[in-house]
Amino acid sequence: MKNDLGQFALLGGTPEFAAELHVGQLYFPEWKQYEAAMRGIIDRKYYTNHGPLIRELEARLEDFFQIGNVITVTNATIGLYLVCLALELEGKVLMPAFTFVATAQAHVLAGLDPVFCEVDPRSHQMTPATAEQALEARVSAVCPVNLWGGSTDIPALDDWARSHNLPLFFDSAHGFGVERLEGKLGRFGRAEVFSFHATKIMTATEGGCICTDDDELAERIRNMRSNYGIRRPMPVSLTVNARMSEAQAAIALMSLEGIDGRIANNRVIFDAYRSALDTVPGVRLVQPSNVTGSNYQCIVIEITEDRFGLSRDLLWSVLRAEGVRARRYFKPGVHRSIPFDTLYPQYVEALPITDALCDTVLQLPIGALVTTEDAERIGSLICDAHAYADGLLACG
Amino acid sequence: MIRSKLATNELALFGGPVTFSPPKSIGSLANPDPTKFLEYSRIFYDRHRYTNNGPVNRMLEDRLAEWHQAERCVTFANAFWGLSLAIRDLAIPGRSEVITPSLTYRRMGEIIASAGMVPRFCDVDSESLAQTEATTRPWINRDTALILGAHPTVNCCDADGLERLSAETGVPLLFDSVESAFETTKGRRVGTFGRAEGFSIHATKLINGFEGGYLVTNDHELADRLKLIRGFGIPEEDQIVCFGMNAKLNEIHAALAMASMDDLDELVERNRQRYLAYRELLDGIDGITLRLFDEEEQTSFKNILVRLGEGWPLSRDDTLAILQAEGALARPYYSPALHTHKAGFETRSGYLPVADRISKQFMLLPCGDQMGLSDISVLAELLRFVAAHAVEIGEALNAVNDLEIHTGYDAVAARRQTPLEESHEE
Repeated sequence: MKNDLGQFALLGGTPEFAAELHVGQLYFPEWKQYEAAMRGIIDRKYYTNHGPLIRELEARLEDFFQIGNVITVTNATIGLYLVCLALELEGKVLMPAFTFVATAQAHVLAGLDPVFCEVDPRSHQMTPATAEQALEARVSAVCPVNLWGGSTDIPALDDWARSHNLPLFFDSAHGFGVERLEGKLGRFGRAEVFSFHATKIMTATEGGCICTDDDELAERIRNMRSNYGIRRPMPVSLTVNARMSEAQAAIALMSLEGIDGRIANNRVIFDAYRSALDTVPGVRLVQPSNVTGSNYQCIVIEITEDRFGLSRDLLWSVLRAEGVRARRYFKPGVHRSIPFDTLYPQYVEALPITDALCDTVLQLPIGALVTTEDAERIGSLICDAHAYADGLLACG
Repeated sequence: MIRSKLATNELALFGGPVTFSPPKSIGSLANPDPTKFLEYSRIFYDRHRYTNNGPVNRMLEDRLAEWHQAERCVTFANAFWGLSLAIRDLAIPGRSEVITPSLTYRRMGEIIASAGMVPRFCDVDSESLAQTEATTRPWINRDTALILGAHPTVNCCDADGLERLSAETGVPLLFDSVESAFETTKGRRVGTFGRAEGFSIHATKLINGFEGGYLVTNDHELADRLKLIRGFGIPEEDQIVCFGMNAKLNEIHAALAMASMDDLDELVERNRQRYLAYRELLDGIDGITLRLFDEEEQTSFKNILVRLGEGWPLSRDDTLAILQAEGALARPYYSPALHTHKAGFETRSGYLPVADRISKQFMLLPCGDQMGLSDISVLAELLRFVAAHAVEIGEALNAVNDLEIHTGYDAVAARRQTPLEESHEE
């Protein structure tokens, strides 16, 4: 609690947190579990190439997602790239610009051109309306992003894509464990791609998986990932190395084992933030949209400057000084990032809603290294920043 | 103790007991000291830093650069993406062909295609089995964007000849040096030839990092660019300065590679003992010639490559079938040659007679710590047995082939006790 302007670390006060708090889940097995798993691999002398742990992981994930095919991959970017190649897409792919840059990079790597669309300003998700508005010639597929532990309105997007005869596949990098009425994310579109990066609720340090109910597509992807784990060889355009190792599989298996506990922990922290921020004017905590259960891996707030009193960027500076390493995701927007700004200049000034979100959204720490007390203290800091907004503005 | 084969029907291919169980592969499968691996793991574990250019990655990069006597090292999720991204960066803009030898890693064409380029396969030299200045020069044309030189599995290619060719033609030179990580050539350490050199730390390679790869270079700007590209083009928060993707190496893999490097000198000495045993025990088997390491140079003695010559009474494929059924997972050497392999992408090549011939003559035998010296004796004895009973074996093989033709029965597959995955070089 700041009782005086001078107590803000930005203005010379003592930082609220001696050890910095980061955005990113950073859950990891206990050391003893880690040691046992790694010793097991060295004892088996089976380090990679579709070993016993990867086989077990893929089987467990198929059970978890209740889907016919889960294909683990080096990371989600390479996973999206493989889906693009396996669907034999050409030309352009429609996607939101309000996403992590890798969504677009994976497509360019696969020789495709992104077509950027807007998102809904409340949910931050791509919608049929934003898709329709951006649709142009030579679009061969649609890649919506299920953002922030919520999801797009999948049935509506599915209807829209069908009406245009376009295949739909999802970047669900944020979506592991997220539940919709119809079931978990993972079963929708032609395929969904998930991330197992350390900052996600499901971790393999690096890694990811592709989910699909399409056996033919799955087999093509397995052939393209590498020669291992193939159930049926078939000619494919390209085979790359996109394997996860046994070590990554071991971490992922332990991560999967504890997924419910971690979601519950995130939920408690999410609720603590919600209570702390509920009454602060100009601060909106983004609720996971279109889902019956989130993984709560993202705390995303939107700052309305004239009501809060400070811009998102000034609040960011205040928090950073206090040891809260909040992140301005996504800044810059993909359409304004190198090289997309010069490759596709037509989108640079065409996406005002995305631009507004890129200027007002802030992500706050949640995960293994954050307690509910931390969340309350961060909420209280934001509250104090509002209370002393005029003073901070004058000094800042 | 494994009993020697006394009769043809005791060969595993024909229903006899399998000699090597578990099977022995051609990958090195170095087994780093778990205690050291866990010590390195502690470094990232205590910092909660599991990837994204973490502390163990930085240690590994410094160590590898020094080891190769190069200025810089950049690690990658695997060698495939390391090389692919380097090709993208180094290729002359507006040109489409990358020259690489037809006898090399079976996914080399894919690496080049994944970078948006077209592989142009060249021949190899019949003595060194490797690409030389002379085998590369005829294929340089106005569309040549890059030379991707590749070292063979035993000794090195004509690296300085390729450097001269690159200087003369202005075509940039990149090396796939995966099989020559430990070597020197003409006294110079592999690692600083050309613009950059790519290496693998896949579990079957000299340094075991589960999966992974790295590039070394003396070009700081190139290293800086590649570091950015492997991490989405993001130098720091809220900045994206170039095209990128995710090709980062995680910290666990870096930790195993560090532990593996601690054991490297001892591993190479064990490899040398194995090589000497092979050399002694294969000597005098008619038709089998071991490729000798150039002991004037620093070498890892890792890969055991033999030529099946005229005195050898069976075809290479039949020999491989017999050995594989016994659990000795020998593999044909770079076969089929890449210019004869049907790819799902465009490739270009001309008449490559040496590659054609050599791709049918050589095989790699099991190596690395999984092969004890006694295993090598058993394998040599098995080869002597096969040579001595060639006529009978030939007849039995014909019978099996007839069965396969009529019923689809796969005798080799039927004899496998465990998946072959680890045996394949990737």
